[in-house]
Amino acid sequence: MTENFEVQFIDRDERTARFLVRGVSPAFANGLRRAIIADVPTLSIDSVRIIENSSVMFDEQISLRLGLVPLTTPPNEFEEGDIVTLALDVEGPETAYSGDLRSDHELVEPADTNIPIIELKYPETADSPQRLELEADAVMGRGRDHAKNQGGVAVGYRHLQTVVVEDDADEYSDSEPEILRGVIEERAAEHAVATDGTGEPENGALVATETFDNDLSKRYPDKEVSVRDVDDAFVFHVESDGSMSVDELVTNAADSLAERATELEQAVQL
Amino acid sequence: MMVPVRCFTCGKVVGEHWEEFKERAKEGDESPEAVLDDLGIERPCCRRMLVSHKDLVDIVSPYQ
Repeated sequence: MTENFEVQFIDRDERTARFLVRGVSPAFANGLRRAIIADVPTLSIDSVRIIENSSVMFDEQISLRLGLVPLTTPPNEFEEGDIVTLALDVEGPETAYSGDLRSDHELVEPADTNIPIIELKYPETADSPQRLELEADAVMGRGRDHAKNQGGVAVGYRHLQTVVVEDDADEYSDSEPEILRGVIEERAAEHAVATDGTGEPENGALVATETFDNDLSKRYPDKEVSVRDVDDAFVFHVESDGSMSVDELVTNAADSLAERATELEQAVQL
Repeated sequence: MMVPVRCFTCGKVVGEHWEEFKERAKEGDESPEAVLDDLGIERPCCRRMLVSHKDLVDIVSPYQ
């Protein structure tokens, strides 16, 4: 790559982020999206040794639920295929939660602790309470092999859009809402109306459409507007399942792209 | 039987919010719409996971 990408954050949180990348082709944007979903390895439970299960669910059903629990995956600590062992031991009448899982690695724990795994009972007719005891192996794997290893949830992107003011709206026409979603780059600030939380309209500013109710007629009242895509600029929406922060997720995905590109380059040179 | 851990469609963890949702919307008198918004469950695919769920453990457990 000869030129640098320009990255600007619109929202940034531990688990969700929205950012603008300029100077990328649609193919690269999709490559990054796919890398975030399929190529960032995360830990998730892969095999379970049931010691006792007298709950109302079968062993397989419980194993499936355990597999879907996101586990925190510390950066640069594990390689693909590495194993962490977890254990769970709960006796009824009580609900087994994901937070009851204990791991043998201090940095690995369930990212969400409040997921019910199975409700255990102490039926009146039974002479002992229902009990669930098991050991599980969490394996570092990729989203391309199993969806439980996807670090990114609902990852997507759309073109950055901009609004062009064509003309004044017809004075006597009924104003109709013009619904638009995503992020717009302000280029006609003099016609725009300040909406909550964004301050005065300013050229070059990035405005999320929810700040004006996704309705362009509220942002540009009494104007006839058209919407255009900005070339080579994409707004990504990334959500993490909790196994790592969005920052790490995206950086790891970009690294994996770079790695594969280098690999290809070397392979071609031979 | 038990609430699904993740949304079938997008993979967001929804099981995490089930108990609060149940307490506030199913057993309480808050509107499910407001509770889901409050919990940060925005997409329709994740919302239907909680809205349409029914716990069945109590119904099945006597037959174990």
